[in-house]
Amino acid sequence: MNLFRSEEHLERWLAGRDRGGLTSVDTVCELAHAWYADRLDPGWRPHTLEHNQAILDRLGLIGEFWQLG
Amino acid sequence: MDELDLQIRNFLYRRFVETGQAPRTDDAAAEFGLPGEEAEAAFRRLHDAHALVLERDALEIRMLNPFSCVPSAWRVEAAGRTWFSNCAWDSFAVCAALHSDGRIESSCADCGEPLAVDVRDQEAVQRGYLFHVLVPARQWWDDIVFT
Repeated sequence: MNLFRSEEHLERWLAGRDRGGLTSVDTVCELAHAWYADRLDPGWRPHTLEHNQAILDRLGLIGEFWQLG
Repeated sequence: MDELDLQIRNFLYRRFVETGQAPRTDDAAAEFGLPGEEAEAAFRRLHDAHALVLERDALEIRMLNPFSCVPSAWRVEAAGRTWFSNCAWDSFAVCAALHSDGRIESSCADCGEPLAVDVRDQEAVQRGYLFHVLVPARQWWDDIVFT
C-alpha cells in the first residue's frame, strides 16, 4: 500500500502490471479514521467483515477488488 | 477471540503505546499470571486471528496494526512521539488510533523522492498524492507484510 506523486509515477512503477486499487489521499485518510479510530479503546472488539465492508462501500471503494470476503 | 485473549491483546497495545517497545510473551505472562507457554499460545492465537502479526521465525511482535514495532519506511509524528507504521494506509491510521493530528513522512514508491502529508482534524492537508494497493482486499492477509 503505497503513495505516488502522480499517475505517471504509478504507471512507471507498475511496469505493465494491472492497476490494483487506486484512490486519493483524502479517501485513504478517511478510510483510516473509520477503520482504526477505535483501535486503542479499552472496549475494543474485532470488527466484523460486514462492518469493514460497509466502510469501504461508504467511501466508494466498491467492486470485486475491494471485496473482503 | 475469547475474553482472556482480548484482554491480552488490549494489554499489548496499551504497553506498546506507553513504551514504544513491542511487549514480549514474558511481559504478558507476568501481567496475567500465566505460565510462559500459555502466553506463547495466546500470541499465536492472536496472530492467527489477525489481532497482531508475529515475525516469521520468532515469537516476537512485528505489527500491532497500524503500528509497526520495527523501523519501517513509514514514519509518523503524532501525539508528541515518532512512530513507524506498515504502509500508507496504516500511517494515516496511526493518527486515527491516537486521535491525534500528525505528519507522515515516506517516499514515492516509484522515484523515491521524499513526500510528507500532514493530518489536521482527521483530514489530509497535502492532497496531491495517489494511494495505490496492488493486492485485492480478499488477499490482504495472505501475506500481510507484502500487502
